[in-house]
Amino acid sequence: MVKKSVVEEAEQIRLAIDLINLGARLQLLEAQTTLSRERLIRLYKELRGVSPPKGMLPFSTDWFLTWQPNIHSSMFLNIYEFLVEYAGVSGIQAVMAAYRVYLEQIGKGPDDEPVLSLTRAWTLIRFVESNMLKLMPCSCCGGKFIVDSYDLNENFRCGICHVPSRAGKTKRAREEQELSSGVA
Amino acid sequence: MSNESILSEIRDINLNYLMLAQQMIRHDKPAAIFRLGISEDVANLIASLSNSQLTKLANSQMMLARFRFDDCSILNMLTSYNKDRTLTNAHAVVLMANQPVEAIA
Repeated sequence: MVKKSVVEEAEQIRLAIDLINLGARLQLLEAQTTLSRERLIRLYKELRGVSPPKGMLPFSTDWFLTWQPNIHSSMFLNIYEFLVEYAGVSGIQAVMAAYRVYLEQIGKGPDDEPVLSLTRAWTLIRFVESNMLKLMPCSCCGGKFIVDSYDLNENFRCGICHVPSRAGKTKRAREEQELSSGVA
Repeated sequence: MSNESILSEIRDINLNYLMLAQQMIRHDKPAAIFRLGISEDVANLIASLSNSQLTKLANSQMMLARFRFDDCSILNMLTSYNKDRTLTNAHAVVLMANQPVEAIA
């Protein structure tokens, strides 16, 4: 039997705790730590007080191309690439560091659901590493945004320079507006 | 504003900047490197400065921190915004992340 290192296990648990606190799903934990599934489930329950959500992870690249998610995930990916290049971090540590900076940038409270979840952010990095998505400089502002690698992206303009007409006009946004105008 | 008070304000800002930078780097280095836009070498150097070194450095007549938007078109775009604030912020982050860091030559 392989002798298990206690220190290494402690480090893995520490990593799993950090990931769970940032909102990771079980599949991400299984892929990034060496802990067994049972231990991860127990850890998850202990930290969150509920069982981990079941079902498959979102697997489509389309989500990253719709307007608001595109801006948020482009922001995350830009931060990630900056950190990998200049701050000397890599792998899951870089994903976590970039995600923390992203959360601080959007300035949400702990109760609000961020647009981009950690699991989605992690999936995004895997999509980029497998060349399904890439960053493309906008022809208007020069900022890099996520595009499909196999789309035609000549004269690409980003979602901020060229806001689509229905952008941000979701049902939820409308309800929030009605609510605030009702109060005032 | 008199010349003397401008110079003392500059020294004040220098000291504030260096102290804040040092705290940021010690707290969370990757995030600090992103926020400050400096290279890892510079970050390590600032973090290792002693208090007396810090005050000596801050005590110059020059601004130690540099304005990070040296691209006119980007600056114009960000200041002439009439969209909502979160969008402007997101845009600034995307544009900032594309700029190279200041490094020791």
